[in-house]
Amino acid sequence: MRTLSPDLAHALAAEYVLGTLRGRVRRRFEVIAAADAAVAGILKRWEDALTPLAEGIEPVPPPARVWKAIEARIGPLEGARAPVAPASAFWRAFGMLSGGLAAVLVVAFLGYAPRPAGDPLFVAVVTAPDSSAHMVISMHEPDLLRVRTVKPWSGTEGRSLELWVLPKRGAPRSLGLVSNTPGDTVIRIAPGDPRVRDANALAISLEPPGGSPTQQPTGPVLGSGVIAPSRKT
Amino acid sequence: MTSPDLAQARLAELLARAGLGDRKAFAELYTAAAPKLFAVSLRIVRERQLAEEVLQDSFVSIWKHAADYAREKSAPSTWMAAIVRNRSLDVVRRHREEPDVDDVGAANLVDEAAAPDREAEARADGHSLGRCLHELEAEQRQVVALAFFHGLTHSELAAHLRRPLGTVKTHVRRALARLRDCLTRDRAGAQG
Repeated sequence: MRTLSPDLAHALAAEYVLGTLRGRVRRRFEVIAAADAAVAGILKRWEDALTPLAEGIEPVPPPARVWKAIEARIGPLEGARAPVAPASAFWRAFGMLSGGLAAVLVVAFLGYAPRPAGDPLFVAVVTAPDSSAHMVISMHEPDLLRVRTVKPWSGTEGRSLELWVLPKRGAPRSLGLVSNTPGDTVIRIAPGDPRVRDANALAISLEPPGGSPTQQPTGPVLGSGVIAPSRKT
Repeated sequence: MTSPDLAQARLAELLARAGLGDRKAFAELYTAAAPKLFAVSLRIVRERQLAEEVLQDSFVSIWKHAADYAREKSAPSTWMAAIVRNRSLDVVRRHREEPDVDDVGAANLVDEAAAPDREAEARADGHSLGRCLHELEAEQRQVVALAFFHGLTHSELAAHLRRPLGTVKTHVRRALARLRDCLTRDRAGAQG
């Protein structure tokens, strides 16, 4: 890549931070700055020079749902949720859904799932009642759970999809909200996180925007999948 | 230590703890920083729902990258505002002939340049941005403010100010070149 002269680097960095560098040019400058430490240094100087102007802006309190959505995406606070009796309808739905087919699909999808951090510790394929696979969920060391939507559910507009751990015993535990668009939701789960202890399967339920208000599944179960350890022994 | 310094030190501490996975620290960080950052995004994207999405994405990103903050050596509020501004500029999609802006941002900028206040003092080692902005010609200062606070592109600036596009681009370029000169002059010994 051709190196930028300091003057050009300053001119582009300044307009980048000011916001007038847009679109493809903006993307290209980001690529250059990521690859060139001198350009990155100039960019940082402009950020430090101009961005503090934002301090003068009058604050506007964001609505509570924003924080709720953030919490849902990064996983709930440990120990914050009280144990709740299992929602029996939820379990019935799960019992209907978790067929043997899921295990077969796990094998079929193992070759599909990319491995950003080596082989996954486990994989689960979330399938709908019609046995179609919608999500491939894989756990990667040290602490990343990747939820890959391969086939979005339809009819979920205006509602949130929530991911649940189904332990061998006890109530489902929420792992937060996941995206219903093709692509990945990555959830950080610390090693030894109690939410995933004795996990047997994963399930997706349809919830009000922002997630279940009761800390247990309230909406219909869209799909589920058993957890298949995939670490080679 | 002045109180803004203390506030920045507190934010830096909360970020460091969030980087270690401390959710309570992260919640406190959000409470302290979100209102200003929401306002920053709202000015640029101009739709509440879009600004809420930007704030949400930005804080998820701040949580994920909090551990990297220590290497940045920027003020925590600057580091977070840069994330929110970049995200806002990424998502904003406007195709209006006549940008719908008030000039509050521009007024803020002029006020700040005229009378460096607590915010200016918050910037350590006598940051001279306010004074350097004051050195700009009025039209130059105006394009800087409209672009920075409202996220106007060159063409939107031209439409808003009813000036030819080339003239506006020249104003922006010259304003930034003068700021660079002024800021460089003030950092004695710093490389240009």
